[in-house]
Amino acid sequence: MASWLVTVDHKRIGILYLATAGLFFLLAGVLALLIRIQLARPDQSVLTGDSYNEVVTMHGTAMVFFVVVPILAGLGNFLVPLQIGARDMAFPRLNAFSYWLFAAGGIVFALSFFAQGGAARTGWTAYPPLSVLSPGNGQDLWILSLHLLTVSSLAGAINFIVTIHNMRTAGMSWMRMPLFVWAIEVYAWLLLLVLPALSAGLTLLLLERRFPGTFHFFVPEDGGSPVLYQHVFWFFGHPEVYIMILPAMGIISEILPVFSRKPAFGYKAIALSTVAIGCFSMIVWAHHMFTVGLSNYLNAWFMVVSMVIAVPTGMKIFNWLATLWRGNLSLDTPMWFAIGFLSIFTVGGLSGIYLAAFPIDWQVHDTYFVVAHFHYVLFGGSLFAIIGGLFYWWPKMFGRFLSERLGKLTFALLFVGFNVTFFPQHMLGLLGMPRRIYTYSEGGLWQAYNMVSTVGSFLMGVGVLVFMLAIARSRTGRRAGNDPWLGDTLEWYTTSPPPPHNFDTVPYVTSARPLSDLRRSLKERSAL
Amino acid sequence: MTPPVRPRLLLIIGVLAALLALAGAAAAGNGGFGPTSPASPNAEGIATSFWFVTALVLGVFLLVESLLVVFVVRFRRRKRPRDADGPQIHGSNRLELAWTAGPVLILFAIAVFVFAKLPGIIDSPDATASGGPLRIEVVGHQFYWQFRYPNGVIAIDRMRAPAGRPVVLDVTAPDWDVNHSWWIPRLGGKIDAIPGRMNTTWFRANEPGFYEGRCAELCGAFHAKMLTGVEVLPQADFDEWLTTAFSAQHQADPALGRELWEGVCAKCHGLAAEGGYGPTLAAATLTNRDALETVIRNGRALPGRNVMPSVGRDWTAAQLQSLYAYLEAEFGSQG
Ligand SMILES: [Cu+2]
Ligand SMILES: [Cu+2]
Repeated sequence: MASWLVTVDHKRIGILYLATAGLFFLLAGVLALLIRIQLARPDQSVLTGDSYNEVVTMHGTAMVFFVVVPILAGLGNFLVPLQIGARDMAFPRLNAFSYWLFAAGGIVFALSFFAQGGAARTGWTAYPPLSVLSPGNGQDLWILSLHLLTVSSLAGAINFIVTIHNMRTAGMSWMRMPLFVWAIEVYAWLLLLVLPALSAGLTLLLLERRFPGTFHFFVPEDGGSPVLYQHVFWFFGHPEVYIMILPAMGIISEILPVFSRKPAFGYKAIALSTVAIGCFSMIVWAHHMFTVGLSNYLNAWFMVVSMVIAVPTGMKIFNWLATLWRGNLSLDTPMWFAIGFLSIFTVGGLSGIYLAAFPIDWQVHDTYFVVAHFHYVLFGGSLFAIIGGLFYWWPKMFGRFLSERLGKLTFALLFVGFNVTFFPQHMLGLLGMPRRIYTYSEGGLWQAYNMVSTVGSFLMGVGVLVFMLAIARSRTGRRAGNDPWLGDTLEWYTTSPPPPHNFDTVPYVTSARPLSDLRRSLKERSAL
Repeated sequence: MTPPVRPRLLLIIGVLAALLALAGAAAAGNGGFGPTSPASPNAEGIATSFWFVTALVLGVFLLVESLLVVFVVRFRRRKRPRDADGPQIHGSNRLELAWTAGPVLILFAIAVFVFAKLPGIIDSPDATASGGPLRIEVVGHQFYWQFRYPNGVIAIDRMRAPAGRPVVLDVTAPDWDVNHSWWIPRLGGKIDAIPGRMNTTWFRANEPGFYEGRCAELCGAFHAKMLTGVEVLPQADFDEWLTTAFSAQHQADPALGRELWEGVCAKCHGLAAEGGYGPTLAAATLTNRDALETVIRNGRALPGRNVMPSVGRDWTAAQLQSLYAYLEAEFGSQG
């Protein structure tokens, strides 16, 4: 036990990340259910305006900063050194430092519920002037927790980049790197480039909150500009979306070929489209600001570049479909989640086109249409891929399988529950329901869709419980060998779980699929 | 059953189900599958763009999802051994080119369509026979909307506007307030009300009627209660309302006072001042003009609780007088 507290082993740190983020996932999930209970029917008073705003803010912040990003950090930590045939990350102690800073940020964040005046309640975007004027200390602690987190992520990003650039095993050129590693590479660069903008924006916010007479960045009474904050925030905020989705896409690019018994269709196209998406993601931020009243020339620019991102994204989807084509599909749980990802992420990508076309965005911006859109991308996208990835790599991490039966049940509940929860929210938005309202009085369709959405959310809640049951049962689950799925990448070359030093020897890498090469040459040798 | 039959069947069933659902939705007054019945040229332009995008998006959606279903059904393992490899195809430049060019064309079509519709959405039509556009100032406050007409008439939360005439809105929020967003779904898109910034938007309601709207940007505890609406009247009725309000609002006007009480004060303090989010207000407080003015102009920080915003820092003397007149009539007798 104590050895986990002082560990600098990337695999253990990765598992610590996953476990901690898992706790935050449960917390944020409970908050989500509270939201759905409050909105199930008109004029409910389970939550007040203030407590609802706290719940919404903490749910969003937790899911983005304390669940999805750290889970990906955890998977990256566990997998990157294994997949590139390295012994550990480049800076193992910096790695431990990243995790503990993240944990500290998480503790500050969770305890901020007990701050004077309650937790932060200005949305995960914390727009000023509201976030400057908001009383109490919840907002200050929120800023502190994100400051800790950004430092943690920056250190982690540097570590990933140095590791990937310098520690790939013999023969692993860039074009032989696993697609998940490609995704983590771009993820890390994006973190490195945009997190400082968030830190700067939050620092200004904190200064203006604590020294209101001295600093005037965002409140216009003394010459500040509320719009400035939005630019700074979204310069970080849009790439953040890709920080959360690119590694998830990386997971999909690992699972689909293995369970189709084919190489990834268009490896180069997938890898390069990841890089392209990463680059473009940094010049589209103001598509979150179409209602601010920017010049329509600017709006037009941000519309066109946002649409350009759809091209490499579409390319990925078609390459994945082509990977399935004529394959030998083993429909195990990881594969089901990958298929679920494909079908749901497509919807999220397509609904994004409405948001990019700015006149249409004027109608749907800040409504439940947007809420539906980003949950299709982040839950149906990122989290489906992550859960699929956990089922896929669990045998490698712990030497035992998660139950297939419970896994498929988890998938069925989450897939159905997800669509029942979020699809009607598109309609709610078009009917005129803004996001972040704590109650409404409308009956009719508003009430019907909201009730359906709440029912779906509880279905997902049951799905998460089944998943937890599967995790609890895996202690006595079926034992896994080194390579239970017949994988393509180097992590399957070593034992499950891998020894502290990862590999005794690493085979010379001659393609992006060293293990399938190995299997083929073994087969050829035995045929001789 | 031969393998290729079932996927095709599934595909056909899927497409039919989707079409049926859409037709049903269209028949039922669209049920939220598109923007709610637009009633102004800009809202119509947006709705048309929406449906154009939907037509293309739906095609891509059906293509991807049906390919996915067909592939999963057709290429699932069945009796093959797990390690039986599929054909080792690494890619195809022709296909890559095709699914790069396809989306580019679709997105290009969308961009062209949207830009073609844009002038009709952003430019308010010129003056008509019924006179030039009417300009109304819209100011978002925590937690009410204040409208000011060219002749100085003030209204709270409920805007009156003439039918058939372009109405140009100058939308903002006071320097000491927070962001809000003005949105009447049937009369066009939303535009943010941002402190220190003046935005404009417009509408021209085709028919008299009441058009509901809401604040669309999180602005605090009562964001959900920042309801608003536009009551569109025939031109003659509107003119009459405006002149009547003009003469009434020159002195203390209990009608305006009532709007202020209900729209500004009662959301927190209750319609009968019984308290709620804000504290109960005694009749003595409500009729003490000096104390009232101080609190309305400056707001109040309650230690350990919430801050009352300075709701009326920018109110005119006539506005204050109107509120006093209403409060004295309503609560004075009890004191
Ligand atoms: Cu974005
Ligand atoms: Cu508001």
